[in-house]
Parts: sequence; structure tokens; C-alpha cells
Amino acid sequence: MSRSLLLSLVAYSLLLAGIATVRGEFIALALPLVVYLLAGFLFAPDEIKLEATRHLSAERVSPNSEVTVTVTLTNRGSHLEEVLIEDIVPADLTIRSGLNRHLIRLPKGKDSTYTFSYRVAGPRGGYGFESVRARINDQLRLASREVQIEAKGQLFVFPPVTRLRHVAIRPRRTRVYAGSIPARVGGTGTEFFGVREYHPGDPPRAINWRASAHEEDILYSNEFQQERVADVGVILDGRTRTNEFARGHSLFEHSVQAAAALADALLTQGNRVGMLVYAAYLRWTIPGYGKIQREKILYSLAHARPGGSDVFADLERLPTRLFPPESQIIMVSPLHEDDLSPLVQMRAQGYQVLIVSPNPVKFELSYLPKNRNVELAARVIQMERALLLQKVQRAGIQVLDWDVSEPFDQVVKKRLSRPPAWLRAIGR
Amino acid sequence: MTLVAFVLSVILGIGSLAMGYYQAGQFDPARWFVWLGVVWILSHWRKYYCVSSLAFFLTIIGAAYGIWNQFAAPWMLLGALGGLLGWDSSDFARRIGYAAPTDDVVGMERRHLERLGIVAALGFGLSLASLFIHIQRLAFEVAVGLVLLAALGLTRLVLGLRRY
Repeated sequence: MSRSLLLSLVAYSLLLAGIATVRGEFIALALPLVVYLLAGFLFAPDEIKLEATRHLSAERVSPNSEVTVTVTLTNRGSHLEEVLIEDIVPADLTIRSGLNRHLIRLPKGKDSTYTFSYRVAGPRGGYGFESVRARINDQLRLASREVQIEAKGQLFVFPPVTRLRHVAIRPRRTRVYAGSIPARVGGTGTEFFGVREYHPGDPPRAINWRASAHEEDILYSNEFQQERVADVGVILDGRTRTNEFARGHSLFEHSVQAAAALADALLTQGNRVGMLVYAAYLRWTIPGYGKIQREKILYSLAHARPGGSDVFADLERLPTRLFPPESQIIMVSPLHEDDLSPLVQMRAQGYQVLIVSPNPVKFELSYLPKNRNVELAARVIQMERALLLQKVQRAGIQVLDWDVSEPFDQVVKKRLSRPPAWLRAIGR
Repeated sequence: MTLVAFVLSVILGIGSLAMGYYQAGQFDPARWFVWLGVVWILSHWRKYYCVSSLAFFLTIIGAAYGIWNQFAAPWMLLGALGGLLGWDSSDFARRIGYAAPTDDVVGMERRHLERLGIVAALGFGLSLASLFIHIQRLAFEVAVGLVLLAALGLTRLVLGLRRY
């Protein structure tokens, strides 16, 4: 029951008692309450006109980095004696220092602004600040009103991007622009491709003197493999059945980090990269180049959440048509035994497929108690997984089995990097 | 500051009622009021703020019962006023509990107590005046008309507050 209602009921009762008993003392008893009500009415603000602005010290940060949120409240209406303001902080963000709730007085005129700030941090995700809640009371809290003042702000906590020096991929088809991926076509480049007949205009240093010495009239030139950019589609598997484990443990964050690092490295090499998050629903980032595309992909990864649905429970519904024919597909997935057939089918369609597979067996072993039963179970499951990976590799799919306890960049350096030409020339 | 005001208000309200009842020979109810005061203060300390509304209501009922039985009216008036002030202070203490350590709580408390003091003084003064100033020639019908007019004004007041 509101305070004004309780007070008015008591005052009415006393007035009625005064009339009914013809006793002025009852009315005298009601008078302090009536004066209190009247004071509440007189002190109540006439016009509530509050405005709020918000400033974030950074809008794109890495996980658990602190961001200062500054909110300024301006009173353009009448004098407000008691305002309880509370900035609504999105769920998952935690306040590290300062407070988002203040009890203030906002007079009319030049002192009509109030600024407060606090620091928040949170895990990967996209967070939208919407409004500031203000509860305005008169001094006796007989008149009370709650308003939501719009003060929008957005904070993106991007996944950490590990810098990879080089990711060697060999798609069947490349694009026309020069890049760093061997295009299986002779031309200018750094890697030896073959020998052809000398054409006028070839530089003298391109002449293969050893081959030319075999013929009297014909000169031969060395031909190098062209290096171009390629279309790459990165698929992030966010299915609950492959990522989530007992006791709330999840491999998904590792998968996200791997996808972010690969996309960043491939974009840095000049490739056209698209991103598909395959979870409870599909989140598709159209392929593109450069820094803007990097932002788009990180934005998509910031919002990626593991999820499950009957439709996308297995990879049968993977929309491969989104990716250009014969392009490179990199799939980041812990893999499930049911995934073999769709992967083989994808390979049969002409895609060059690379699977980066965070190892779920080693991941689970890292937090399970060490005993004979667990070790035996782990051996059995590890054998099943090895068998699955073997079948996948036999289908011509490259597999990178990643033990997530090792840094991703080191694993990529060992297994996926392509050493520079001079290093390859000396056989290292 | 608000806590002190709350305790003083409860002592004023409960003490006045207890004194009024005691003077009228009602010893048991006087003791019950003392217990009510103790429970009120303890519940405020334990942050059971809803008890405050109930205690306020009981003090008003106690004062009205005392008036009905023709106990000393000033004690009853002071009891009702103390209950009102205690009820207000308890709610204000709850509200300032939401304030951040950097907020100007002391200034707010000071301004609140100033206004509350003015309201209490005005209310008590008017009540006392109405107790001791009697217009003998006022007919009963006129008195009823005035009370109805007051009720109408009160209705408008409450509607105004509720619309806010």
C-alpha cells in the first residue's frame, strides 16, 4: 500500500469518527496527518524533465578489460529534492569499482547536472546500455514516480585475437588478385613452378641455363608459381553437443579464439574471408576483405553463443552453397562421430577442407580426477576419436588436432605454417 | 542523524501514549505500548521496514481509543505525532540506505529533518489550537458541513498525490 493511501485512509477514518461521535478531538488527531499530506502535495515537483547522456571510455575491448562508464544527468524541469538514480547494467557485466546507484538532489538552474562514473568488465559478448532508471520522490515520499531515461551505449567485448604468422592453405581455386597463396598457375612469384620456352621480354636472370644447354637453338626460362588471394570460409561449430561438457565446462571459448585468430591471419594475408557460426541458428558474415571485414567477424564472434536445436544438431544442414565453389573451408569444431558423412560430402563437392579440432578428450581429462576408470575411459574415447580423424583424413581433409592446453599459435606454427622460400630452399 | 530522529520519535510517540494510558489507570495497555516501541526499534534495526507501517497504524488506533475513552488528549496527540514522525523517519532511513558513500547524505538528512520539523510543529500547533479554541456559536450542521468540506479537500489532495 502506498504511503499516501495509508495516510489518507487513517485521516478519513479519524474525520468520520469525529463526525460520528461529535467529538472534535478526533478531528484534532487527524490534523497532523492532513498537514503532512498537504506538505507532500506542496513539495511535489511540478514538471519532471530529465535527460541523460552516456560515455564509455572504450567501445571495443578484450575480455575482462575495464571500461569506465560515465553518465551525466541533466534536470531541465522543476527542482527535484530526492532522486534515486540507477544505471541499468547489462547482465554478465560486473561492476569492478564505483557504483551505478546514487541518491541525489537535482536543483533547478545552473547546478542541474550530475555526473557519476563506474568501471565495468565482462566476458566476450555484445552489451547494450539502454537507459537510466530514476525514482523521483518528494521529501516525504508521498508523491513518487519512476522514469526511464534513455541513454544508449554499446560495448563489444571481442575475443582475444592471437597473432598467427602464416597459415598455409591450398584451395583449388584462387582469386585474380595477388596474394600469398600458391595458385597452381605459372607466372611471377617466389616458388619454382616449372620451365618453359624463353619469350622475348623475359629477364635474363629468368633463363634456366642448365636446361638451355641441352638444346642448340632454344632457350628456356624458369617459371614461378603465382601467388594470389583466395576465398576462405571459416565455420565455427557452436553446437552444444560438441562443445559443452559436464560441470559447466565448455570448449566453445577455445573454438572462438581459434576462429578469431585464423580469420585475422587470413585477412592479414589479403584473402576474402567469410564466417559462419553454426549453433542454435546460423549467423553468417558475408565474405569480404580487410580491416572492416575483421571488425565484422569479431563482432559476429562477440555475439556467438553455443546452442542446440533439432535442426542444426548435425552438420547435414550446413549451407555449403554460401561458400564459393572450390574455395577453402576451415571448420573449427571438436567433431562428433556423426559429422564424418557431411564432411566427406563437402570434400566431394570440391572444397578444400581444413578442420581445426580442439581435442575434447584431453580437455575433459584436464579437469577430471585422475583414476583408473577415467584413464581407461579416456583411452577408449581417444581411440574412437583417432579413428574418426583417420577416416576424415582419408577423405582428403586436413585435420589439426589441437590440445587446448597448448597455445594455438604454437600449434599452428608447427602444423600449418608455410616457411619462407629461403628457408625452404635450404631444406629447413 | 535520521536514526537518532527515528528513535526519539518512537520514544516520543510510544512514551506519550504509555503515559496517557498510565495516567488513566490502564497499566497493561501502557506496557503493551512500551513493548510495541521496543519491537518497532528492533525491527528497524533488523531492516524489517514493513513493521513501521503497522506500528504507525497501531499508535493511531491507540491514540483514537484514548480519545474515545477521554484520556488526556495532549498525550494522545503527541502519541499520534510521534508515530507519524517515526514512520516517516524509518522510511527515510531505508531510502538513504540506497545512497552511495560519496553522495551528500548528511545534507539530505538535514533538509529532510528541517521540513519534517516544520510539518510536525504546524500539525501539532493546529491540533492543540483546535483542542483549546472552541467557537461556541458554531451549529452542529455547520460543523458537519465544514468537516465534509475538509474531507472533499482531502480527497482532492490525495487524488493529486496519487495522479503524480
